[in-house]
Amino acid sequence: MNLVGSIYKKMSSKDKVIIAIVLCCFIGSVIFVFNNYSFYDKPIAKIVHTNIEDVVKVSDINGNEDTLYTQHIIAKLLNGEEKGKEIHLTNEYSQSKAYDHEFQIGNELFVKIDQSDKKDVDLTGTIQEVKRDKYLLLIGWVFIIVLLIVGKKQGLFSFISLVFNAILLSYALDVYIHNSSQSLLWICGISVILFTVISLLLANGLNEKTYAAIIATLLGTFVSLLITYLVLLVTGEKGLRYEEMQFITRPYRMVFMAGLFLGSLGAVMDVAITMSSSIFGLYEKNNYISVKALIKSGMEIGKDIMGTMTNILFFAYVSGSIPTLILYFKNASPFGYTISLTLSLELARALAGGIGIVLTIPIGLYTTLFFVNRKRAKL
Amino acid sequence: MNVLVLLGGILLLLMTIIGGRKGVRSFFALFFNFAVIIITVILLCSPDINPVIVTLFACVVISCINLFYINGVNSKTKTAFLSTIICIVILLLFIIFVTNKSMIQGFGEEEIGELGAFSLLVEVDFVKIAVSVIIMSTIGAITDTAIAVSSPMREIHYHHPDISRKELFLSGLSIARDILGTSANTLFFAFFGGYLALLIWFKDLSYSVGDIVNSKIFSAEIITILCAGIGVTLVIPITTWITAYFFVRNKETNEKV
Repeated sequence: MNLVGSIYKKMSSKDKVIIAIVLCCFIGSVIFVFNNYSFYDKPIAKIVHTNIEDVVKVSDINGNEDTLYTQHIIAKLLNGEEKGKEIHLTNEYSQSKAYDHEFQIGNELFVKIDQSDKKDVDLTGTIQEVKRDKYLLLIGWVFIIVLLIVGKKQGLFSFISLVFNAILLSYALDVYIHNSSQSLLWICGISVILFTVISLLLANGLNEKTYAAIIATLLGTFVSLLITYLVLLVTGEKGLRYEEMQFITRPYRMVFMAGLFLGSLGAVMDVAITMSSSIFGLYEKNNYISVKALIKSGMEIGKDIMGTMTNILFFAYVSGSIPTLILYFKNASPFGYTISLTLSLELARALAGGIGIVLTIPIGLYTTLFFVNRKRAKL
Repeated sequence: MNVLVLLGGILLLLMTIIGGRKGVRSFFALFFNFAVIIITVILLCSPDINPVIVTLFACVVISCINLFYINGVNSKTKTAFLSTIICIVILLLFIIFVTNKSMIQGFGEEEIGELGAFSLLVEVDFVKIAVSVIIMSTIGAITDTAIAVSSPMREIHYHHPDISRKELFLSGLSIARDILGTSANTLFFAFFGGYLALLIWFKDLSYSVGDIVNSKIFSAEIITILCAGIGVTLVIPITTWITAYFFVRNKETNEKV
């Protein structure tokens, strides 16, 4: 307690207010999400009893052996007209749980209640979905708290910018859905400009560093998009398999290009701001530093970040396909076929993003030099 | 000509022109990492091996490639490596807990259509695979942040050799805070770019907010982004502390000798 007390004494009153606000939001939202059953139209039930009724061993033609379990569940309804009553559910799950779940006492589920005319009979129903909102909220809070503790003010700003970007993205998609005549690329282009300006201003404030980074980001993204577009034209999109995107009823090539555009934006911004703030940092330390020396140091910094940045995109894209890859391999799909079918779009995204990252290094360098020279001319 | 070959060729060309030898190494690092992912997937297919251990091992190899192969073995990559591994282990424990609770493993009902021809009963524990997916999505960003923090800290220590451990730690933390926002942003845009089709589809089906939040695919994606964000944030104090500890300790031992 002494430690907590001494930390408390050290804090300014502004910090105390912020901590109080964060705590209130935390407690309020947790109480809401743990008691929001009446806000859902679908019936929600909490499991009070489970037992395994049946166990079957199965195997398929590829030699995979699995076990199927049938679980009988009694759950208590938490909302709707039948609130408080018990409902009997049946759940089948496999050992591998690729498309099913093993439930335990305390889990909350969305259920569909079977209609029956008889009174005084136990309710029965089917399981539709797991209630996941509270886990999402709790993990979200862990993220916010870690971000605030480590990042302090910058942490708060980066959180605000994330939320803002998410809202903007959702709004841009709404505009696209309701005005299909508008090309997705145009909507994306405008959103990209807004994303860049907002994120970089929030991260670095109003100054030359930020302006240089904004211009470099926009140039870098558009040039890399142009290159990717030309590559797709020249090759006739040979080698790209759009199968995994065909569930959407929209022109999926457009959606793919828009996703590619958006996906590389964050990484390009990162490179642009790193280049501009480090070059401005060098200039501020020594106002008489030569342009040649700035170019040399700038390129060195660029070389340092190039490799790890391209890897960020690579892992973020490719890792999501791991479950699909496993399923294909376990169903004895040929290696080359599986790779091209499941990974072609992800690899194209990663490579195009990589091109954006590498191009932004010289673009960022020369844009920043332009601003540095302008500042020098003023002196 | 194949799109991927041409894109890869352009990337190699640009990396060579702009990055020189280091650029070529960065390009080959992508290749090695791809090979590591494929080998990991093949190992994950075997139900007798624990997926979490395979993933941890893959993370060690990937960190070695990203740090030691691209940047060489030196004091900054060594501290970045140690911090990455510590961060991954902490994150792993958190993610195992999260995936068990939130049941986001495997495939959602929106994805199952295209997999209809396949047998889903394949003996592999998909809950543990989900852990592996989240960690692997984040490993690139964690190594990047670790090296981005330890590298300027070494510069500070180099220019001010008499700096105390606490001062080094604090100035490292202040540099790191500038990186924090952009790292989180990079991941955020990468994931949303990758899932754009899915988001459009959710909007098209006019799902309610409740439906979206509780659906497996959406919550899996958000949880991945949040865990990645936690990982990138967590690696910052770990790296600053470890770097400050080792650099200043090295100086003390040198003086004794």
